[in-house]
Amino acid sequence: MGNRIGIDVGGTFTDFVYYDDETGAVSVTKVPTTPLEPEKGCLRAIDAALRPEEVNGTRWFLHGTTVGLNALLERRGATVGLLVTEGFRDILEIRRGDRAEMYNLFWTPPPALVPRRRRQTVRERIRADGAVHRPMELSDIRAAATFFREEGVSAIAVAFLNAYANPDHELAAERELRAAGFAGQITLSHRVSGEYREYERTTTTVIDAYVKERMSNYLLRLQRELGRRGFDGIPLIVRSGGGAMSFEEARERSFETIISGPVAGAEGAGALSRACGLGDLVTADVGGTSFDTCLILNGRPQLMYEGEIIGLPVQTPWVDVRSIGAGGGSIAYVDAGGLLRVGPRSAGADPGPACYARGGVEPTLTDAAYVLGMLGSGTFESGLTLNADLATAALGTVAGTLHIDVDETARGIMSIAAAAMANAMREITIEQGIDPRGLKLLAFGGAGPLMGCLLADELDMPEICVPPYAGNFSAWGLLAADVTQTKARTRIMRLDESAISDVNDLLRDMFADLAAEHQSQAREAVLDVRLQGQDHSLNIDVPLEDGRLTVDSAGLARLFADSYETMYGWRPDEPAEIVSVRATVRTSLPRRQLPPVSGRSAGRSPPPKMSAYSFRAKTVRDFSVVRREDLPAGASLRGPAIITEATTTTYVDVGWQIEMNPSGCMMLKNEGGRQ
Amino acid sequence: MTRCTENLHVYGAAPSRGARAGAVDPITTEIIRHSLNSAANQMKRALIRTAYSPTIYDVFDFAAAIYDSEFRLLAQAPSLPLFMGTLNFCIQAALEGVGGVGNVSSGDILLYNNPFGTGSHPQDAALVMPVFFDDATIIGYTAIKAHWLDIGAKEPYCTDTVDMYQEGTIFPGVKLFNAGELVRDIYGIALANSRVPKAAAGDIMAQAIGVRAGAEALLRVVRRYGVPLFERSVEQMFDHAEASIRGYLERIPDGRYVARGQMDNNGVDAEIVPFDLVVEVDGSDVTVDFSGCPPTQNGPINCPLPSTVSASRIAIAMLAGSNESPCEGHFRPLRVITRPDSMFHPRSPAPSFLYGWPAMQAIDIIYRAVSDAMPQAVPASSGGDVCGLVWWGIREKTGEPWATGSPHPVGQGASSHGDGGTLTHISEAATRFAPTEVWESKTPWLLERVQLAKDSCGAGKYRGGLGIDFHFFLLEDSFVTTAVERTKLPPWGLLGGHDGRPNAVRYRRADGTASEIFGKITGLKLRKGDVLELLTGGGGGYGPPAEREAAAVVEDVRNGYISEEYARRHYPHAFADGTPE
Repeated sequence: MGNRIGIDVGGTFTDFVYYDDETGAVSVTKVPTTPLEPEKGCLRAIDAALRPEEVNGTRWFLHGTTVGLNALLERRGATVGLLVTEGFRDILEIRRGDRAEMYNLFWTPPPALVPRRRRQTVRERIRADGAVHRPMELSDIRAAATFFREEGVSAIAVAFLNAYANPDHELAAERELRAAGFAGQITLSHRVSGEYREYERTTTTVIDAYVKERMSNYLLRLQRELGRRGFDGIPLIVRSGGGAMSFEEARERSFETIISGPVAGAEGAGALSRACGLGDLVTADVGGTSFDTCLILNGRPQLMYEGEIIGLPVQTPWVDVRSIGAGGGSIAYVDAGGLLRVGPRSAGADPGPACYARGGVEPTLTDAAYVLGMLGSGTFESGLTLNADLATAALGTVAGTLHIDVDETARGIMSIAAAAMANAMREITIEQGIDPRGLKLLAFGGAGPLMGCLLADELDMPEICVPPYAGNFSAWGLLAADVTQTKARTRIMRLDESAISDVNDLLRDMFADLAAEHQSQAREAVLDVRLQGQDHSLNIDVPLEDGRLTVDSAGLARLFADSYETMYGWRPDEPAEIVSVRATVRTSLPRRQLPPVSGRSAGRSPPPKMSAYSFRAKTVRDFSVVRREDLPAGASLRGPAIITEATTTTYVDVGWQIEMNPSGCMMLKNEGGRQ
Repeated sequence: MTRCTENLHVYGAAPSRGARAGAVDPITTEIIRHSLNSAANQMKRALIRTAYSPTIYDVFDFAAAIYDSEFRLLAQAPSLPLFMGTLNFCIQAALEGVGGVGNVSSGDILLYNNPFGTGSHPQDAALVMPVFFDDATIIGYTAIKAHWLDIGAKEPYCTDTVDMYQEGTIFPGVKLFNAGELVRDIYGIALANSRVPKAAAGDIMAQAIGVRAGAEALLRVVRRYGVPLFERSVEQMFDHAEASIRGYLERIPDGRYVARGQMDNNGVDAEIVPFDLVVEVDGSDVTVDFSGCPPTQNGPINCPLPSTVSASRIAIAMLAGSNESPCEGHFRPLRVITRPDSMFHPRSPAPSFLYGWPAMQAIDIIYRAVSDAMPQAVPASSGGDVCGLVWWGIREKTGEPWATGSPHPVGQGASSHGDGGTLTHISEAATRFAPTEVWESKTPWLLERVQLAKDSCGAGKYRGGLGIDFHFFLLEDSFVTTAVERTKLPPWGLLGGHDGRPNAVRYRRADGTASEIFGKITGLKLRKGDVLELLTGGGGGYGPPAEREAAAVVEDVRNGYISEEYARRHYPHAFADGTPE
């Protein structure tokens, strides 16, 4: 039995999905997020949706959370002490010297996560090649331990220069701290990341120490409460770099959970692409405050090996999800120079868009869409009913300033938001040398299916997929997560046969380490390769057999040149070098059936119509209004249409043909025309 | 728009076309503005991902921008501000070099690096691509000016040149790509004149990839909206930017504000070179007048006109531009007056290798002048320089030549918003200095220290940011050029705030002997075991130290930013009971 619960905690809503492996049945629900104690929202959703025997019969609990991220955002982490090499006390504060807002004369970096007095230096030095330049003075560690105790430090980060090349001093420091009686969390930089760049690695180490206690306590509370409800399966949490890990591992490696939430949607998109043969995709996940987009190639989200959050680098695998501040709650306004702007400020869930009638008076994207008829009647299954007068009044304030009418203002808001989202999608695809016209658009999140047709038209994309449970798709995506773990080592070597043999040695060691922690099914390896002298490397997936490379140096050089040509349009013939070796083990959960399409036959009576604005026809048209569940598998329908479902609404413009795929996906095909 | 009166030269952007531009809606304009900024970002991404030199991919020593057919700035990617206002000059000069706009065709990419057209030293080479709409008409240009590690100056980096011919090989506007095909002859000449040809080759190709990416992105925008609507929207975008910046400038009291700056020396002679600048504010019009500056200098601290204009544009755009990415409209309220054959308007073949250093000083001095009018509008002085070091040598084991360089952060001035931080000079706001671990993996040094320097800040109600002490321990013999200014004029405070420590460089030989403090030196040979120390300046303070909260003083002492002795001297009020806390 592989019954699963997926819970994705977002900023506004906690999304719940339950999958019954025997029947393939799926149930979904949304409850408000409980920011102070996020586990309460999770448990509320479970209590509302499942019977005790269902909880007891659940094998996997899969989770996406923003607990770690919120600890950083709200600066409510542990009291951290940091040990660094003498002479390098200020790595966190000096950073790289750049300005996040480069045109802002007054920009100053936010205070470092560890104040200077709790950054203690140690006499020791390792060289870039790993040789000991100066042995470590253990007395410095003991003195720091005493000081940290006086300061009430509960977690210690240790990040010595060049520790990626030789971890001996960090390991000795840990032993000495324990010998001195420190019983709290210790994070060593070489365990967090085997890569060079001291600011990035030190920051990642500190982030881990900073969020670990909170994350750990949260996961323990959640696990205990799940246990009380009879859950005796395996709880897993999504990593920032994709895949999932056990709660136990997440308590050890908390820094890997920072963007767990947005990654769930990207993982789901990858799984859907693989399961339904959708091919390459670009995602449009539109929530209340943000728009997230991700490129899915060959059924996998694109991975980076460094992320960034609240301006801090995180040196760990990171699914390349780009966010901009544009969502259903984004507020429209007129700037000082007289141009209409949308976002990044959001009305959020409280007060929410003006049409929610909860006290919001500023016009939002949702108000604009509603006034244009794009949200249908405005009565939702959740019980929410939108108020047209309030939406019109809010839009009127902006329209008055611009001397245009409310409808034109509403159309402008939609167009500006769509253009901003399309730019982000264009950048994420074109940067990889991929033409978006050859991709399908996967639209999900509460407002994604509303924006799908506008985005596809901006980018000349021929096909849109609105997945099953589109409004809760991130939670649904969790159910498909693989259990993964990755290790990486920086080792710069010229790409030749001896390097191939060195890589095989490294892989053997790393897979052995990983095997000690995981029962692995599949082993994968990625090599960072670059032209000699270049810095930016490309991540090359290399074929393995029994954990060893099956390509020789010439074959690897070819793979690198192919990848380079795709990315940059020309084929290098200079010598290349290997920079880092990354080993991953992946264990797939048992394969899941796709959800059946409920497919109650719609009958023959023509669907009701209502007027809505067509962005293609540039005029108001009659749109069919249809409930998604009334469209059986194989059904097709010609736009314009508004398709409603429990947690989202799909806007289908003129010239788009709806086809209900047996997989449960609603496909929109561009038949062109602006009739 | 240029004109000369009474031997003075006046430069300003062309004014708005007003109603002649035709009506357009504020929505399309906003969409096009976004798309153009996104296009410039795509250029930047393409460049940094393909570049060879850390100066480009890690330090971001380049600018990438898109111009319209009349050389007006449409969008610039967040990159080196000092290059910001110069690329229109580069494009026009590059076109002149190939015989005018009639001599270019689709797929051409021009190479141009004459200092008097780029505003920079020859290492800052511009690639310019005319963007053809339907292969017939030019609808704009994409340009990237990037710092090449070496293009054949007398040394890889110089502070003592006496004419342009010592500063590098000049490409006076030539076709590097002809109708899409690489011109092997030109390419070969460029590589043959570089001490690091591999890096030069990689960086040239990366720049070409970047301008092409920008051209494609610009064409996508124009095709989507059609030429007429695109052009009308661009006019409105410029007008919008102009209105927004004028709204700010209106708030500065009208008047004529004079401030004095200085260069430590001109790189060849020993004397201090003082200069006066005038900032005149009249309603929302601003004039920066360099005509009172000294004549063209014997050494390389002359700043060619494009960089003089750019420095003024940066100063005004950052002051009044609401943190927005700049476009042509931001430049319209500004006029720049210069005197030909002066330090800020030299003529060929005057030496100008260190053009950026007087340009940086110009920015600081413009703000010093503005502080007379509106002290809350600007920060106190920072360390005032990028504190550049350029290193080279031959690796002992492999015999391979190597070269690298980086700017270094300085303490920033405090302001009405609070204490200063430690960042790279505002003229290179997007550049980053290289990580120690990356440096040590590639170069024969060991960094003994990269740490904030206690007590280096200027005291005040808000204190300046701290400077940094860098100690480079040499593992092999190497050469270094230090291009460090402001070792004599300390970072000034504002409204009673104190000065910070000035920049300094010195070295210690392995035998224990130490040098005097200096700023600029070319090709200093350091031997294995020597230590070079770069001590970057601290920021000036803002407001009287007596107004600093006692708790903030105590916190600074506890964190080791300042010593107790320094605290007692500058903030006695925090010790009212004899001891802090």
